[in-house]
Amino acid sequence: MRGIPTVLITVSPEVSAQMRPPRALYPHGFKIGNSLGKPGMRELQKKILKDALTLFTEDTRPGRFATHEYPVYGEFHEPPRVKTLG
Amino acid sequence: MSLSRKCVPFTPFDGDLSKSTVALVTAAGVHLQDQEPFNIADELGDLSYRIIPEDVDSSQLMVTHHHYDHSDADQDINVVFPIDVLRDLQDEGFIRGVAKKHVGYMGYTMQLKAMYEGTAREIANEIDKGSRADLVVLTGG
Repeated sequence: MRGIPTVLITVSPEVSAQMRPPRALYPHGFKIGNSLGKPGMRELQKKILKDALTLFTEDTRPGRFATHEYPVYGEFHEPPRVKTLG
Repeated sequence: MSLSRKCVPFTPFDGDLSKSTVALVTAAGVHLQDQEPFNIADELGDLSYRIIPEDVDSSQLMVTHHHYDHSDADQDINVVFPIDVLRDLQDEGFIRGVAKKHVGYMGYTMQLKAMYEGTAREIANEIDKGSRADLVVLTGG
């Protein structure tokens, strides 16, 4: 099995990075549960999905997280951080 | 074969998006209303997954997940599982098609080894053998 190319859309980049995804898109400041924006924002959803798919055709470094800004989302949420012991 | 903890398991893509079929795999707890819900009562998490067919009516999808606020996904599943958006991109010719199978699972578990070595491999096999997907988009909650 050669493997299937994957891309991750995540709103928790620090947490997701622990699983070493090959390619990832982080819509900057989106809240958990809004990976592709808010309900009914179809044009924004299309833009994010296109941006994620386009990472397949770019000369990406394995493990890179691409941070994209989508001002039309209209909110900013701090992403969750990885909890450290001790 | 196990991977080094520093290794990124990267599969290159040298094709054309307009000639590619895309599958969705989501950890957001998405499933069909008539499928068994994920077991949120188990504190260790639920290691199972659900197959979502290509012709699914998105209004028949729901979320069972207790580790994020899915009220927006309850209104529009596309915010975590963009199946209708994928169809739009197919209509536009941005991609060739929507894969025959998609997968939903609940991305919360205290059984990381079982998830990584069991569930994740089973999902990969489902996609590899049965979906005819060239590419996979992964989403969380």
